[in-house]
Amino acid sequence: QSFKLLGFLDVQSVPCARESVLYGSLGSLVVGLGHFLATSRVRRSCDFAVGGFICTMLGYWFYCRYNLAQQRIRQRMLQEGMRNRILFEGSYLDPEKKQTGNERSNS
Amino acid sequence: MANHTQFGFQDASSPIMEELIEFHDHALMVALAICSLVLYLLTLMLMEKLSSNTVDAQEVELVWTILPAIVLIMLALPSLQILYMMDEIDEPDLTLKAIGHQWYWTYEYTDFKDLTFDSYMLPSTELPLGHFRLLEVDHRIVVPMESPIRIIVTADDVLHSWAIPSLGVKTDAIPGRLNQTSFVTTRPGIFYGQCSEICGANHSFMPIVVESAPLTYFENWSTLLSS
Repeated sequence: QSFKLLGFLDVQSVPCARESVLYGSLGSLVVGLGHFLATSRVRRSCDFAVGGFICTMLGYWFYCRYNLAQQRIRQRMLQEGMRNRILFEGSYLDPEKKQTGNERSNS
Repeated sequence: MANHTQFGFQDASSPIMEELIEFHDHALMVALAICSLVLYLLTLMLMEKLSSNTVDAQEVELVWTILPAIVLIMLALPSLQILYMMDEIDEPDLTLKAIGHQWYWTYEYTDFKDLTFDSYMLPSTELPLGHFRLLEVDHRIVVPMESPIRIIVTADDVLHSWAIPSLGVKTDAIPGRLNQTSFVTTRPGIFYGQCSEICGANHSFMPIVVESAPLTYFENWSTLLSS
């Protein structure tokens, strides 16, 4: 069974969602509590806590999704590289053969 | 196919659907942030006494103009990127036509000679054990995997719509018009869809089944069917 935050965000199956919400909560606590300890103003500290939650959550979300996107691109390149190696190994199209050929001609 | 309690998307079987699911997750996270803010503001308003002291509020007006603009840009940029990505038709390896009728689909593989067939839903009484009710057909579309496929969709009588959720494809079938769409299946498998435009009594009973297989299997299948 999935847990849906506010009824719509499935934090368990969406990558980066769980960490974003957890870091957001931590950020909210730190900012809110820190502001209260510094100023003793409850209402304003609550405002800062909510702002801290949103900023930390979205900040970590963008950072995590960017890294995920980079990882997916690397995965696709690796997959294609492996497929090309299987297809062309030993043939005249083998990129490794071309590379060693260039090294020999340079030396 | 979707299971009976499924609320979210089916697993992606094409790169476009992967991008759509990514964008959907991104939009939901932005929606969560906005909903949290609105919920907090609502709670604050409910606890405040009513007053009409505020006359001038330049700073907050600036904030609540600029922030929503930034949020809209954060949503619009990936959305437009995917929109244009969906319209790219990059040298398809295979073109096939899907023609909607009441209440079945006809598929024409005009790249091959005489490869045309109708695809009717299998009635529940004729369904083999383990097959899916109201989703199986007598003749599936077979396509080679990891190859760009172009589909030209039209209809013979009334409006239909050719849709397969796991491939991220939905194209209206309009009589007298040819609509073009394309997809690439990233893995072998069987992908189910259903007619997505109300077309009469049996609108719910004209499913679409795409079978993605390695090229050799596709060649064997097309040779068998052509002969």
